[in-house]
Amino acid sequence: MFMSILGKSFSRRKGKIAIAIIAVIMGAAIPSAMFTVSLDISEKVSYEFRKYGANLILVPKSDTIQVGFPGVEFGAVTEQNMINESDLWKIKTISWRNNVLGFAPSLYQVVKSGEGTNEQRMVLVGTYFNKEVEILKPYSPDDKKIFKTGIKSISPWWEIDGDWIEDPNDNTGSLVGINVAQKLGLKLGNTFTIRYSEVPDDTANETEYVLRVLGIINTDGYEDNQIIVNLQVAQNLTNRPNEVHTVQVSALCNACPVDVFAAEIEEKIPNIDAKTVKQLVSAEMSVLNKVEDMMMLVTVVALLASALGVSTTMTTSVIERQKEIGLMKSIGAENKRIASLFMTEAGLVGLVGGLLGYGIGLLLAQIVGISVFDSTVSPRLSVLPLVLAISIGMTLLASSLPVRRAMKIEPVIVLRGE
Amino acid sequence: MGNGIIVTKNLSKIYGETKALQKANITIQRGDWTSIIGPSGSGKTTLLNMISCLDTATSGSVIVNGTNVSSLNQVKLTRFRRDNIGLIFQQYHLIPYLTALENVMMAQYYHSIVVEQDAREALENVGMGHRFDHIPSHLSGGEQQRVCIARALINDPKILLADEPTGNLDQKNGKIVLDLIKRLNDEGHTVVLVTHNPDISKKGNRIIELVDGKVTKVNVKNS
Repeated sequence: MFMSILGKSFSRRKGKIAIAIIAVIMGAAIPSAMFTVSLDISEKVSYEFRKYGANLILVPKSDTIQVGFPGVEFGAVTEQNMINESDLWKIKTISWRNNVLGFAPSLYQVVKSGEGTNEQRMVLVGTYFNKEVEILKPYSPDDKKIFKTGIKSISPWWEIDGDWIEDPNDNTGSLVGINVAQKLGLKLGNTFTIRYSEVPDDTANETEYVLRVLGIINTDGYEDNQIIVNLQVAQNLTNRPNEVHTVQVSALCNACPVDVFAAEIEEKIPNIDAKTVKQLVSAEMSVLNKVEDMMMLVTVVALLASALGVSTTMTTSVIERQKEIGLMKSIGAENKRIASLFMTEAGLVGLVGGLLGYGIGLLLAQIVGISVFDSTVSPRLSVLPLVLAISIGMTLLASSLPVRRAMKIEPVIVLRGE
Repeated sequence: MGNGIIVTKNLSKIYGETKALQKANITIQRGDWTSIIGPSGSGKTTLLNMISCLDTATSGSVIVNGTNVSSLNQVKLTRFRRDNIGLIFQQYHLIPYLTALENVMMAQYYHSIVVEQDAREALENVGMGHRFDHIPSHLSGGEQQRVCIARALINDPKILLADEPTGNLDQKNGKIVLDLIKRLNDEGHTVVLVTHNPDISKKGNRIIELVDGKVTKVNVKNS
């Protein structure tokens, strides 16, 4: 009987029910889209930020010795330490390893090129471009044993005229900064000679090395003044096998503070300091927080508007059905029976509106994803129960006042037509 | 007097400054047909509403079937009404989107459990066996009133209260309805019928006359 009353009441008031469902759809579609985008956005924003470079830099710990007389300080002497290249695989064995998008070591050395008055001093940097690093002891047996990484994956935004160095065993290929190319008059495909001596300006013991220009870099940064080669080239030239000065790490940090990464890497690799690029991290966190705040605000406003719509529709429904409610009461319906009828109606409106709102929210999420991030947003089924709970809860809450009104209806008044 | 199925003692109802009913003392015997008659605004519907537990008194008491309903709260009044009283309205008050059968079954649903066969029999009993699946707008006034009576009877109440049951009916349909009420009274139901029509009031064996909220006359017909 209950279902018969409910079904016929619904079919008789299709228009009103449709308006209530539309109100719920509006309220449900926004949270559905916002939650779907929100789950994806953190990842996408982080990826966007990763395009602007690493957010962690590993440097060796330095031993600093204070020099001077008692009471008179002359300053400090710092001993240059190095990081072992053979430890770098450990970066991929921290608990947040899946969030490590890439890393690239750097070994720096000042070298000379050109002859006579045209002689130039510049920085040679040895690094990984596209290196396959073997993970000797993976964190989990399911982890991949080979990790492909290098400067190409952490600085994809570099503008290169020519090619990246793709072969990790290429011993002659180099990328030269645009300023270096101009000073030395280098073009793509040219070869040039660099000279290195362990003691500066010790021309008698200089080692010469011939490099080929594979690409010219233009970053508007310090790379424009550098020559970049495979790490082994720099290590062999400077006789520093297995040594690097710094390591840039690109970590995806949407759900974790980057400081946690830093601490874990410091635990894994001895004698290093992992320094976060605070500006980048705080900017990233700030953008994410603002986006999430904005989404929350939009969601709350949408839900309030929707609740208002549902409440108005339900109030109209109660007013229109006063006589029916009065009659039900006169023939013995208790208030809880009346309330359960209206609340079931409201719950069904919330359920249908929530389901449709979820679907429309997915479409909205795609529009946001494509227009803001140039990529689609993955539908998340986990959002559905959340959206249903919100829409049903909101509908029941919005209906509570009209239902209270229904419960207060006095049969004697409505039956005599007042 | 004290054995009446309905007894009111000094029953008054005041709306603002309007005294709708003043210290009404009446007794209705079990199995009687009591007609309450009076001009418009005399307080007859007010009296009926208080007997039927739809309204509460300003002062005085109503005792129905041995229970002082004046002391019951709204929930208990609702339960008492559905167990003891069948209501017949001038306007029928059927749910417009339910069929005749469903309108009767709805009263079963709010009382206890729905037994469709009993609802069919109730409709057949009032001559509506051929109209089970018709919605109220497809029924004549007389037919709607008979559905209303079937609904009032479905939970087997001891008391039938009818407020101008023929007020919206033509003479022919009015006669059908009154004959039906007479039959139900003969079967043992106590009937209280409110009317402004002296001819209809004479169908009862007891006539209570109200004027300006006061009981002015009680006529008992010798059987």
